[in-house]
Amino acid sequence: MREIIKMILVLSVICLVAGLLLGTVKQATLSRIEEQVLICVQGPALNNVLKKFDNNPIADRQQFKVGKTDTQVTVFPAISKGYITGVAIEGFGKGYGGDIGVMVGFDLKKDELTGIGITTMKETPGIGTYISKNDFTEQFFEHPMSNLALKSQKGDIDAVSGATFSSKGAVDAVQKSVEIYTTLKPEILRSWKQTE
Amino acid sequence: MNRIWKEFSKGLWLELPPFRLLLGLCPVLAVTKTAYNGFGMGCAVIFVLTLSNLIISLVRKIIPPKVRIVCFIVITASLVVTVELLMQAFTYPLYQELGIFVPLIVVNCLILGRAEAFASRNPVHLSVADALGMGFGFTLSLTFLGGVREIFGYGTFFGRPFMWAEFKPFTFMVEAPGAFICLAMCLAAMNFITTWQSKRF
Repeated sequence: MREIIKMILVLSVICLVAGLLLGTVKQATLSRIEEQVLICVQGPALNNVLKKFDNNPIADRQQFKVGKTDTQVTVFPAISKGYITGVAIEGFGKGYGGDIGVMVGFDLKKDELTGIGITTMKETPGIGTYISKNDFTEQFFEHPMSNLALKSQKGDIDAVSGATFSSKGAVDAVQKSVEIYTTLKPEILRSWKQTE
Repeated sequence: MNRIWKEFSKGLWLELPPFRLLLGLCPVLAVTKTAYNGFGMGCAVIFVLTLSNLIISLVRKIIPPKVRIVCFIVITASLVVTVELLMQAFTYPLYQELGIFVPLIVVNCLILGRAEAFASRNPVHLSVADALGMGFGFTLSLTFLGGVREIFGYGTFFGRPFMWAEFKPFTFMVEAPGAFICLAMCLAAMNFITTWQSKRF
């Protein structure tokens, strides 16, 4: 009996100390990790999809609520000489191996895309991963908001050959971003200074 | 002092973990694509191994023998999660490279092996010396293996150009089979040196 009590006691104390330690470390590193993820995962894509900016889009990011739902969306602004020129919004679509995250840049004046960049994906290496290559992504450069679909679905985007599913996932993600952009546009224009 | 040196130095050659004891082979094969990755993994292991040996050796007298393995795993697991969080916070690119192999340090048999075989029976200073020796040996081996594979596979060393300009890298070396072949060659070389030494004396 004494042995059992001792076992329970020792194990509980060890687990308690471990739990407290982990909780403290998690709390202490939380904001830093969030920032690092943004810099290392979203950062490279942001620099490619936003044109003409002299601010730090990650530092100036803002959270918005989409419509009446509770989902929060982060909007990264491109600000040039104090005035907002465009924004980048990340959208997600279903890929072959999990969600595909796509950062989409928008030009606020012309209402067109300024480019896309893949942030996260788990596609098949050497097949699906080609959606992150220039041959695919450059089709979205200065693309209008309409006709954003694969050619097989009456749009004008060429799918990566052999990776239709991944291409469709990426296009879906872009469409999600466009949807979010259209709903949020009035709010975005209210939040940052414009040219006039 | 002599005893401490003995426990420390055995991890550097006589009981060099990946090449002699063949312990902790999973990260040895998986993350040594470049010298930097190997070095980073080694540092994470030094940190976890030293602290786990230290803590386990401190509490070795109050841990009931029947639940000792559970206690060891709780201790190493908390340390590994701490390392993972710190890595994410301060060296995120390295964390992206090492990926799943950081959390897998928990089940690295080197750590549990040292806890069970050494730290649970020896006083604190010897356990720490043992952990540091084993950790350094592990890091050196991983950096060496990573260096060899990086030099032949990419033509660079720690990210800097190393080979002559016309050198065509053997991409094979940075794929999974290259790891097995490199490891085998290291083992062969170590066995060769040992037999050669024992013949000489």
